[in-house]
Parts: sequence; C-alpha cells; structure tokens
Amino acid sequence: MLLGGRLLLVALAYYLGARLGLSLSLVGENVTPLWPPTGIALAAFLLMGRSMWPAVAVAAFAVNLPISEGPIPAAVTAVGNTAAPLLAAVLLSRVGFRRQLDRSRDAVALVFLAALASMLVSATIGALTLVASDAIPSDEFPSAWAVWWTGDAMGVLAVAPFLLCLPLFWEGRRWPDLLWLEAALMLVGVAAVTTVVSLVQVQLLILVLPMLGWASWRFQLRGAAPAALIASLIATWAATRELGPFESGSLLERMLTLQGFNACVALTSFFLAAMVTERQRTLEALEESTHDLEDRVRLRTLELSAANARLVSEIKERFETQEQLSQEEERSRREHQKAETLQRSLLPDRLPEVPGVALASRYVPATSDIQVGGDWYDVVPLPGGKIGLAIGDVAGHGLQAAATMGQVRMALRAYALQDPSPVAVVTGLHRLVEQLPMSQMVTLLYLVFDPATGSLRFTNAGHPPALVLGDGGCDFLLDAVSPPIGVAAASTFFEAGYELPPGATLLLYTDGLVERRGVSIQEGLDRLSSEALCQFDGDVEALCDHLISVMLDQDTVSDDTALLAMRLLTTSGGPLRLTVPAEPRQLAQVRSALRLWLREHGVAREDENEILVACGEACANVVQHAYGVAAGGLMDIEGVWSEGTIELSIRDRGQWRPPGEREGGWGLQLVQAVMDSVDVETKADGTVIRMRRRVQVGAER
Amino acid sequence: MTELASVDAQDLQGFRWVRVHGEIDISNTDRVTEQISKAVPHDASLVVLDLSGTTYLDSSGISMLFRLAERLRYQRQTLRLVVPAKAPIRGVIELTRVSQVIPVQDDIQFSPGGQAQGAHDPTEGLTD
Repeated sequence: MLLGGRLLLVALAYYLGARLGLSLSLVGENVTPLWPPTGIALAAFLLMGRSMWPAVAVAAFAVNLPISEGPIPAAVTAVGNTAAPLLAAVLLSRVGFRRQLDRSRDAVALVFLAALASMLVSATIGALTLVASDAIPSDEFPSAWAVWWTGDAMGVLAVAPFLLCLPLFWEGRRWPDLLWLEAALMLVGVAAVTTVVSLVQVQLLILVLPMLGWASWRFQLRGAAPAALIASLIATWAATRELGPFESGSLLERMLTLQGFNACVALTSFFLAAMVTERQRTLEALEESTHDLEDRVRLRTLELSAANARLVSEIKERFETQEQLSQEEERSRREHQKAETLQRSLLPDRLPEVPGVALASRYVPATSDIQVGGDWYDVVPLPGGKIGLAIGDVAGHGLQAAATMGQVRMALRAYALQDPSPVAVVTGLHRLVEQLPMSQMVTLLYLVFDPATGSLRFTNAGHPPALVLGDGGCDFLLDAVSPPIGVAAASTFFEAGYELPPGATLLLYTDGLVERRGVSIQEGLDRLSSEALCQFDGDVEALCDHLISVMLDQDTVSDDTALLAMRLLTTSGGPLRLTVPAEPRQLAQVRSALRLWLREHGVAREDENEILVACGEACANVVQHAYGVAAGGLMDIEGVWSEGTIELSIRDRGQWRPPGEREGGWGLQLVQAVMDSVDVETKADGTVIRMRRRVQVGAER
Repeated sequence: MTELASVDAQDLQGFRWVRVHGEIDISNTDRVTEQISKAVPHDASLVVLDLSGTTYLDSSGISMLFRLAERLRYQRQTLRLVVPAKAPIRGVIELTRVSQVIPVQDDIQFSPGGQAQGAHDPTEGLTD
C-alpha cells in the first residue's frame, strides 16, 4: 500500500511538473527550457529508490501522449524521459553522492553527471522522436535537441535540489523562528529581484546572484534550492513571454541567455551552499573536537589533580611513617648506647700489668638491635704473684643481663681474694647467682695462673673451652667442665690443671666468637684454632685484632663477644727487661717475673731465692728512697745471663734521699751478702745498682 | 691489690701457734705485723711464729721479726720461729743471724718440757 501510494504520488508530481514545464515551452508545445519532471523523477529515485521508475514511465507516457504524433512516439519519448533520470540516479550512487548536497563533490556530481551527461539520453531520444514522427522538420533537430537537453538539465538543476532539500527540514538542525522569517524575506527578495530584472529591458539578471549568495550563506541547501528554483522559474517564465531582457533576439539568443542565467543560478547556489556547509561542518567538527579536547583536558586535569592529591597524601603518610620510624630508631639507639655504656663501664677499663705476662682483651658489642649482652672478662691479681683470669656470659641481653654481669664480676673478685682456688670461687658464685631475684644462667671459665711456674688451675662452668697456642700447635682445655652457674640447685664443680709452656698463649673467649648461624660449634672451634695458629707469632694485641676481624661479621655482630688473651712471655735465653712503677705493690710482680726468668735458665732454687732477695731489696730501696714523696716514678729491672753468671741491674731516674734520713740499712747489706759483687752508680739522672752472682744450673724446674 | 700474705693462729699445747702464708715485703710488713699482734693474746707465754708457708721475706720482714721479738720480751712472752731447712727464706734468716736474737727451729715438734726438739744452732745452716 505504501509503495502504491508512493508510486501514485510520484506519478502525480511528475505529471503536474510536466504541465508546468509545458506551460513554459519555447518550441511548439513540447520542448521547454525548464523541464521540472526530470528533476522530480531524479529526486524520487534518490529519495524513495529506483523502484519508482514505473510511476515515472507511466506519467511520462501520459504527459507525452497528447502532445505527440501518436502513442508510439509518446512511448519512445517516455522511455527516454524515464531512462535519463534513472541513469542519473545510477551514476550518482556510483560516485557516492549524498543527497544532503553538503560537499562540493556532490554539487559537481549533480551538475555534470546527473544534469549534463544523463540528460543527453532523453534529449537525443526525444529530439530524434520529434524528427521521426515528423513533428518538426529535420533541420530543426539541433535546436530542438539543444533546448530539450538544456531543459532537462535545468529541470534537474532547479527542481531536484529543491525536492532533495525538503527532508532536511526535519532531518537537519531545526530553524529558529527568526531564521524562518529571514528565509521568507530572502525568498520574497529573490522573487522580487528576479521579477524586476526579468521585466526591465536592461540586462540586470546578474543582480540575482547576491541574493543567492545570501541564501546559500545563511541557509545553505534549504535556502539556496528554493531560491534557485524561484529565480529559474521566474526567468524562464519571462523568457517564454519574451519580456524584459528576452524581448529582442532570436530563439537561440533567448535560450542562451536563459540557460546561461539558470546555469549560473544553479551552480552558484549549489556550490556556494555545499562549500558553506562543508566549511560549517569543518568548523563544527573543529569546535566539537575543541570541545572534546577541552573535555578531555578537563578530565585529564581532574585525573591528574586527583593523582597528585593521592601522591601528596602518600608522600605525607610516608614522611610521617619515616618520622615515626626514625624516632623509634633514635629511641632504640639511645637505649642501645645506654646499655652499651653500662656494659663497658662494668668491664675492666684496663688490664693489670703483670710482669712476664702480656695481656690483651677485646669487647665487641652486638650491632643489630638494642641488645647488650652479658659477656664479661676480668683479670684479678692474686697473692703470691698469681693472677685470676675470668671470662663469662650472663644469659640474655639488655640492662638486666649487664647488671647481673656486674654483680657476678664483683663477687668473683671478692671470692677470689678469700680463697683463690677455682672450685671455691665458682661454687661461691653459684650460691650467689641462685639467690638473685631474677633467675639467671651464667657460663664462666675461671683460671688461676702462676706466672712463676706456668701452672694453670681452672674450673669451667658451661663455657666454651680455653684455647692454648704453643709451639706444637693448639690445645683446647676440655677438662673440668661443669654445668653453667645458676642452672641446677646442687651443682658440683671440678678443677683441672695445665702446665703452660713459656711462650704459650692462652685464649679465652665467649660464644659470640665461634657461634654463627648455620655453622656448627665444632666448625667454629676448628676455625678459631686455625685462625689463631695463623697469628701465633704475633703479639696478643695483634692476635685479638686478627680474630675479631676474621671471626666476626664486620657489618652485623649478632651476639656480643668478649676476648681475653694472655701470653706467657719467654725470654728464650735473652735478657730480662721490666719497667714498672716504683711502688711497693709492684715488688711481688717483679719477683714473679724474675723467678720465671731464672727458672727458664735452670737456676738452682737456693740461688733463685737469694737472687730474689737481692733484687727485692734493691727494688725496695728504689721504691723507698729514689723518688721521695713524688709519685709516678719508674724503675727498670734488667737481667742478663752470661755463662753461669747472673747480672742484674736496677735503675731509677730519681734523686736519692740523703743516707741519714734512711731507715733500716739491712737492705744493701743483704744484697752484698748474697751477691758476688754489687756496684752502685749515682748520676744526676738517677742511680743504677749492678750486681752479679755465679749460679748453679741444672736444678729441676 | 690483694694481700700477699695471710695470717692465722691457734692454741696448741702450751703455746700460741701463728702461721704466716705468702710473701712479706715492704708492701705488707705493717699489715702482717698488725695481724700477728692481734693473733697473739697477752696471756700466751710462748708464741711460735711458723714461717713454713712464707715464700719470701725481705729485710723489712727481718726488721719486723726483731721488733716483734723485742715487744714480746717486754711483755714477758717468748717468741720462737719455725723455718724449715728447705724453706725459701731460710737463707735470709741465716744471713741476717736472726737466730742470735730469736730461737729458730725446723719444725714445731717440742719436748714434753716445753722445749722445741728441733732447736739447733742456727749458725749450722749457713752453708746449707
């Protein structure tokens, strides 16, 4: 039904358009300079599809029948009239024609393909039919063909765009009322101007063009097409009536003038409209992309500022966390320092000077945390020139362990003075630790050493064994091992002995030196003994440094470590050289060193005892008389062994008090009694007592 | 500094037995003297100072012995010394002729009459 209605509508429109066209004919009744039906047919094919051709064919036949020389010429003409717009529609669709006529190429296609090229078909068929049916003489063919062709072409150019623009009113952008008013004004203007210029004698048709420019500029196709149609219709009407500019001249001249005008109108309006539309579209696209860009920029800016805000807050958070962390670190560092200071203050600030013995110690605190260990060591001078050596480890870390360590260390000194035997000292400490409010486990290795004889007595309460480094290699002191102090209620401790050969080194250490994650204790002990042997010829200070550097991880010391090394100095046939403060309490140490030296040379005991007395008297004289009330003086003791003779010299750098002020007097007499010769040499810078005695050698050591 | 010497005392049959262990030099003579004085009651008529455990004795120690003997004599108390023949200090004791002032014996074995059996002429030991 819809199709039928459409066909009927198209046929009706074609027929009416034909009647209008015929009313404007220039040649006879059937050749007109403006043939609207062709434009109507093309518009119908473009808007409703090429299936509309039967309506066009029928209507064309109906139009031509009364003005043709019979049904056959009418039918042939109708075929031409149908075929021409059909061909135009096909060609246009081939080149991608847009009926909105909004691109220049659409205007070009409409003018050249649809109007000028396709209409050759209808003009040729129609003109030939006119000649063949004897409607016109054959010499009129060229002008008839020309009129037909231009008429059809003008029909396409004037009418088709008008019809094609109609759907745009509801498809395109709506016009505001003011624009409608302007359009109406424009159309009236176009009509008025065209009418005026078509009626006056002077050639003023060109004045219509500005009006068309207005139409195209302001309304594009929707204004240009109606304006062009009106202008063409009026001009054509004027031409058929031979009015104004068309009043004079031949038919051909009038045709040329009219078609020239119409072509100008059509081309001007459509090209201008298409260009303006194109430009507008470009502008719109530009504007749209600008908007789009702006939107995107806005969006991106929002995103960026959101991200920025997030970043700022993250940075702030991180900064605060960092701040907190560094405060924590600072606090724990301070605690660590405090505990470490305490720990260090509880360790001996310096080791006692023991003649004949070299001592060195190290304490390395743990680095990794606030932990401060309870590692400690001590060297206690004992009666008879002996020394007590202790090294221990209070289980646990921190201030508590350090405090316990301090108590244990002081208690050890007290017990050692009461009864220096190792078992007695360790047993006493065990009783003490048991009574501490906080239960504590303490490992302890305690040794009593007699430098004069080289003998060691020791008790080991759960501590890593001492290492002895001698000429023949090394030896761990594995005897006399008992449980740690403070573990079992009733502990029994054992004591063992060891003879330290001259020149040997005794090494005491805590577990931090040999314990390492992922390494067995045995491996640690093996490593310690091999590393210590490497360094055996060096002094004890170098030994300690070497062991610390190779046994401990330099970056992180996980457990604190204490190290105490003692080397029994050997003179190995060489002279004895001692320099000690001239103080009473040094005398025992001097005797101890001298005794050791004499025994090394195998001096008989009787000789030893008397030489000790002689040296002791000489030194006591220095202590009592050389420096007066001034403290801090030193004395040098030198012993030289030469072929069974001992030569001793005791030197001071003081001023002796006059003999009258001296007490006693036994001293020098005693020295002279026991020594073979005694010389006293007093100089400005001090006094030297030199004495010698032949001795017996080969006594048991 | 720890003590070089220690002093202990007890009553044996008829005498006060005072032992000194360790070494005696100028650093501790005063202190040892004081300890010995404390260890000797006024009613002890015989005091035996046993130096068997004394490993070193210098001239200040000898002076101390003489002063001690003199003081006890004022108090009607008798002092004897025990210095074994093999003791390290035997040489000094003999060289300084302590036995001329204070009887010196090898050990603390006494005759029932209160006389020390081991008493001998101190000059004998000079060539020991």
